[in-house]
Amino acid sequence: MAAAAGETKILFKIALRNLWASLVRSLFVGGVVALGAFLLVFCVAMVGTINRGMSVSIQNSLGGQLQVYNASSEDKLELYGGMSGESRLVPIEDFAAIKAVLEDVPNVRQVVPMGIDQAMVATGNAVDIALERLRNDVRRLEAGERGPELERSYAAHLGHVRRMVSLLAQELSQARAIADLGGREAKERQQEWEDLTRANTDEFWAGFDRARYERLEFLENKVAKLSLDAAFTFLRYVGTDPQAFFRAFPLAEIAEGEMIPPGRRGILVGKQYAEEYLKLKNARRLDQIKEARDRWRRTIARDEELQRWVKENAIGTREILLQLDPLRAEEVTGLLRTGLGAPAGEDLDALLQRLFQTTDADFDRKYRLFYEVIAPRVRLYSINVGDTITIKAPSKSGYFNAVNVRVYGFIKFKDIERSGIAGMMSVMDLMSFRDLYGFLTREKAAEIAQLKESVQVQELTREDAEAALFGGAEAAPAGGVPDPAPARQSAIDETALLEGVKSGVRPEELAARVYSQEEIERGVVLNAALILEDPGKLSETLAAVQKASDDAKLGLAVLSWKKASGIVGNFVETLQVVIAVGMVIIFLVALVIVNNAIGMAVLQRVKEIGTLRAIGAQRRFVLAMLLVEAMTLGIVFGLLGTGFGVAVLSALRSAGGIPASNDFTYFLFAGPALLPSLSALDTVWSLAVVFVVSVLSGFYPAVLAMRVTPVEAMASEE
Amino acid sequence: MAIVSVKNVSKDYQLGKTVVPALRGVSLDIEPGEFLSIAGPSGSGKTTLLNLIGCVDTATSGTVMVGGKDTRSLSERQLTDLRLHTIGFIFQSFNLVQVLSVFQNVEFPLLLQGKLTAREREARVMALLEAVGIGTYRKHRPSELSGGQRQRVAVARALVSRPALVLADEPTANLDSQTGATIIDLMKEMNQRDGTTFIFSTHDPRVMSHANAVVRIADGQIVAREELNGQAAAGGK
Repeated sequence: MAAAAGETKILFKIALRNLWASLVRSLFVGGVVALGAFLLVFCVAMVGTINRGMSVSIQNSLGGQLQVYNASSEDKLELYGGMSGESRLVPIEDFAAIKAVLEDVPNVRQVVPMGIDQAMVATGNAVDIALERLRNDVRRLEAGERGPELERSYAAHLGHVRRMVSLLAQELSQARAIADLGGREAKERQQEWEDLTRANTDEFWAGFDRARYERLEFLENKVAKLSLDAAFTFLRYVGTDPQAFFRAFPLAEIAEGEMIPPGRRGILVGKQYAEEYLKLKNARRLDQIKEARDRWRRTIARDEELQRWVKENAIGTREILLQLDPLRAEEVTGLLRTGLGAPAGEDLDALLQRLFQTTDADFDRKYRLFYEVIAPRVRLYSINVGDTITIKAPSKSGYFNAVNVRVYGFIKFKDIERSGIAGMMSVMDLMSFRDLYGFLTREKAAEIAQLKESVQVQELTREDAEAALFGGAEAAPAGGVPDPAPARQSAIDETALLEGVKSGVRPEELAARVYSQEEIERGVVLNAALILEDPGKLSETLAAVQKASDDAKLGLAVLSWKKASGIVGNFVETLQVVIAVGMVIIFLVALVIVNNAIGMAVLQRVKEIGTLRAIGAQRRFVLAMLLVEAMTLGIVFGLLGTGFGVAVLSALRSAGGIPASNDFTYFLFAGPALLPSLSALDTVWSLAVVFVVSVLSGFYPAVLAMRVTPVEAMASEE
Repeated sequence: MAIVSVKNVSKDYQLGKTVVPALRGVSLDIEPGEFLSIAGPSGSGKTTLLNLIGCVDTATSGTVMVGGKDTRSLSERQLTDLRLHTIGFIFQSFNLVQVLSVFQNVEFPLLLQGKLTAREREARVMALLEAVGIGTYRKHRPSELSGGQRQRVAVARALVSRPALVLADEPTANLDSQTGATIIDLMKEMNQRDGTTFIFSTHDPRVMSHANAVVRIADGQIVAREELNGQAAAGGK
């Protein structure tokens, strides 16, 4: 229609030229719109990316799409633990039964058995390890073995332990100088000091060969405990069928070592856990300094934390000194002296201090030197692939259960390996989990039968059985460590044998045993992850799974991965709400500002508007004209703001993203940095919001303008 | 038939709590082709009367007929259409759209009407611009013109839709007397050329003298209607 076209054209002309004519105001209003658009785009991208990252992290590392657990549990399932620790779940008695039902639900691809809990791991100490090596040699000698290689090894290990004792004596004499020796435990302290002094005499060592076991036990029982670094740490693990777990969770990878063979007992220790809790402290701190320097461009010269690490490394050389036997100590001394260009007289301790006393200038060189000279000669991690470790946890009856499991390797979750949430998780076989958690396995059942016979008990409830089983040292379960003293890894089997523990099944037999898939699955689990064919149909499948469970009277509660991830999942939802509220407030403020600015413009243009009306423009013309102004500002500056936002986002991405500064953000970002990106749909959506808000904010002034009467044209000011 | 017929019209304004009467029982007939001046001191009701005739305001009582239509019976939209097609306006302070060029200002009513093609519009606008003597300024913005030139643009805009009636409220008030005179001459020339009815208000006796009839108004009432030098029906049919 030519008529409308001409009118529309002139309408746009007036509107646009008016915007241009009051450029300052247009820029102001536009600036507000652009800022709003920018913030919206930025926040939507951030939250969207975090949300996508989170769902990748959770679904592909532990959560799956759905989780089921016993509906009669007093807590809700929280995969990452709640405020008060692990959720208390009533076990699912027979995983095989629920698996059969749930796998038949359409869209369910896999059902993964799980039991998540925390346990204690003894990490041992250098003295223990040295004594353990020495004991090995002693055993062979006592068995009548001879040979130059054994002699050399025995001499070296003996020298190492002796060196340790002298180091300990030095340390303790320093401690005594400042310790309060008059206190309640003074007598005990005195006894300890005398024991150590005895072990530090030439007579003690001269007589070692005459009574090897006696001296060794003296060292083990009286001296080793004086070494203060005997420690244990907490380990969070998921008991599962490792094969099924790796099939279900694509982010899971073997970082080192090998997969637990099918049907075997074993554990894959979390790689990040190992880095943080199992690695030699000095090495760990060097790694941290290196990362801080390389990744975050921090400098030792200016960063207090780095200075603290350097200092801690320089004064904390003892662990390395203890670990080096005399032979290696000599090698290291020579290599360090050359490497550091130190004067000939300097001893190892001084050299180590020189090594760790790093500055920005020599850090990289000294870092390499550490990994070339020291790392290969010490135990860099207190748990290594191939070790058998003892894991202890309180069972449900309150007594400690312990299991020995072989460390087959280290596990990491791709891209989120650094996260404290995913990277700390270890993966253990279901059998060991059931032992640890206090559930019945076949071996235990056999033991109970044995026990019944020996103590003449007819009936045992499950709780009683546990108490009876785990209550005392005599009734220690297979593979368990009877005494509650810090366990010594890799010494367990032997200790158990030497100390004559009678168990139904020998630990090595247990470790070598291959369980059938049926044995693995017919038993207790705490929860199970469901992997869906099409994760998009989550809510339908959730309903179907719930129905299948109800129909089969399984008594399961079903949760989406988001709900099951508890505070972690809630975090994103909270973030979304906070940002949504923030955006609403920002847009309300923008609305008011734009509204006012356009309103002022209308007031200033009352005469012009009145004139247009007087000479024949209809109200809708005026309304449309003002709305066109608002829309133009909305579109132009909305696009500008969005464009700027997209540019900032892409600049952020090409600059490496927003770095994950702590373990939690690693998990949120699903990697070391957040690469915020905006989907096309989100872009369109954001633009639409900006557009609608601009039109809304222009609407009220436009209505005001529409009501301007032509009489206003007649008013003669000027 | 009179092009404008005002019968017993009153108009009150509400000023706070007091009612201010602007017109009190005015009656007036204006024939086609008249070149009529409404004269009176400030506040006498000239502008109010023009506003009622120009359909930009409504009477409190009485009837106003424009082009044979009772303005009271028309909707806002119909009144706007009436203004667009039947009435041209010339304002005291010119009231041009600042962001449009001279040409676009004059073309504007034609665009609203939407009856002519672009070529027809151009021809008509240019002819008028030449007629009012500012054809060379077609691309200028109003702010680039003098007061007299602006008012010439306003005259062209008022005439471009070939209205039956042109209303001019104090068209010379913002101009010096000489320029004012040329504007009145221009208006008169158009009145005689096309037979368009012109009604203008003024309080300037020299401007008044160009009219062929003067309606004197004071305190909201018509006090006299004087015919001047017998030209009342000069352009009449």
